[in-house]
Amino acid sequence: MLQLTLAVIKPHIIKNTVALRDIKQLILDSRFIIVKSLRKAVTVQEAETFYAEHRYKFFYGRLVGFMTSGQSDFYILAKENAIKDWRELMGPTKVYKAQFEAPLTIRGKYGLSDTRNATHGSDSPESAKREIGLFFPEFDYEAWLRENKTIK
Amino acid sequence: MSSFRKINEKLVTLGVRYVSGPKRKYPINPALADDLPVFQYKPSKKTHRVFCWGNAQTGALGIKGLLEKEATTLRFPKRLGFGEKFEVVTAAAGYGFTVFAIDSSTDVKLYGTGINSDSQLGLHEIRKDHPLEIIFYPQPISLPIRYPETTKILKLAAGRAHLLVLTDEGVFLLGNNAYGQCGRKIIPNEDYIKSNVINHLDKIDGKNIVDVECGQDHSLLLAEDGSVYTCGWGADGQTGLGHFKSTENFSKVEGDIQGEKIVQLACKSDFVLALNDKGEAFGWGNTEYGQISLPNNEQQLANPTCIDMVNKLGKITSVASGGSFCLVANDSGQVFSWGYGLLGLGPNADMSKKPLKIPETLFGRNDFQPDTRVIKVRCGLNYSAAVTNSGDLFVWGRNRDCCLGLGHEKDQYFPLKVAIGGFVQDVFCGLDHTVALCKPFI
Repeated sequence: MLQLTLAVIKPHIIKNTVALRDIKQLILDSRFIIVKSLRKAVTVQEAETFYAEHRYKFFYGRLVGFMTSGQSDFYILAKENAIKDWRELMGPTKVYKAQFEAPLTIRGKYGLSDTRNATHGSDSPESAKREIGLFFPEFDYEAWLRENKTIK
Repeated sequence: MSSFRKINEKLVTLGVRYVSGPKRKYPINPALADDLPVFQYKPSKKTHRVFCWGNAQTGALGIKGLLEKEATTLRFPKRLGFGEKFEVVTAAAGYGFTVFAIDSSTDVKLYGTGINSDSQLGLHEIRKDHPLEIIFYPQPISLPIRYPETTKILKLAAGRAHLLVLTDEGVFLLGNNAYGQCGRKIIPNEDYIKSNVINHLDKIDGKNIVDVECGQDHSLLLAEDGSVYTCGWGADGQTGLGHFKSTENFSKVEGDIQGEKIVQLACKSDFVLALNDKGEAFGWGNTEYGQISLPNNEQQLANPTCIDMVNKLGKITSVASGGSFCLVANDSGQVFSWGYGLLGLGPNADMSKKPLKIPETLFGRNDFQPDTRVIKVRCGLNYSAAVTNSGDLFVWGRNRDCCLGLGHEKDQYFPLKVAIGGFVQDVFCGLDHTVALCKPFI
């Protein structure tokens, strides 16, 4: 089944043109299709809505602080099982562990620390819809899935 | 005739020419031959050799030829040509960039190479309004120094995208200021690459600054009386100011280090280690990986705390703090590590909340060299390095983009000596590249 997911390339990768180029290539090599892309600096309100589910965790402050520190890239990715495949490509959230457990994933290769972990991906179709709606308000999630049954 | 030509060609390829000496366009006059100077290939007179290795794609190695070869990594230490042209006194390695301080009497005392996305290496504008985001070999960084003839650069520290330069005239701060790590007001959506603001602090609270250190997104200053000042990102408590907010101005750190004379600061990521003149260690910041065990499983520490378990190990002389682990060396040259990662004690990435001793034999102490001891420990984000009094460099840890310089891409589980052509004086570890400053063998 064709799925959509939101991929976020976090600010420290945007600053490193070499890593950004490699990650983009990795996305295309894994047969994802980039439906829409956007580069912008996240505002504090957007970041707080984005990470609302982590509101009461100890790392909430640093998540918001890091995301608002500079520009990020937002991609709507499409593929069969896009959500699961993108999370597999990203690797475990904690970079210090990912670099030993999954050294070939994006986080294992390009992550700096548990906060500066290179990328974000939606964890379910519901959150993908919510997150895409947050950064691409004019994009019609349902209509796109209705019109595109397969990727040519 | 044709057969003679063929024989002649054969003779030339067989080296007949070498028997009769080199073929000269203008033959030497035999009467004057003895008076002609003989060129001797003497060693360079520079007192330092600079070696670097690791990720070559970001330009942080500053070697021009690597670009043409399309090399992605440099697996072995390579001597830097830049170090032969200028007298390099100190250096620093950040996230994909390197800076070198040179001994000079002009206002160009600093050279930088690598990623320049936040003008941490100054503004390099070849075309108007198109500043360079990446620099592939060392370029001069001009600092607003008042007395260029006498001022010297004492220490450099590089973070994720900012740079601290300590001179006789105070400290200069360049680059990203998204969390106030350059000690100036945070401007929302500032375009750092074009703004090129260099902040200057002459003194801090009327005291001279003697040392600087950078975390990834925060800065630390050490004043002459041993007090510590910090600014920048504090979301994990890494500023040690008792709160978890970003700080724009350098503020004095209190807690357990109040009244102590701090002599050394170490930080690579989000956990800070400070060493006082009695050889006791203090720490603050992110402690998710057991750098300090806190009650209630807390993982962030915003107040400097004395680390008792380390102070039992003897008088500590050198400290280093990486991303998820810490390293200390004591006055008898023993090295201890704790935290999470490849601690130098075997092939598993393990967690240890107690300092573990790395056997001295792994640092070259044996019956033939009984006096060898580790004098300096350094950390990259995910790897460790130790320098011994005999000028050897030992490395271990995660080998991201061959930053260990051991000639292969595999992780190193225990300390191993790096093949390097000089007595290592100091080593500067970045994320995926390393720079070593050496004294020549002869």
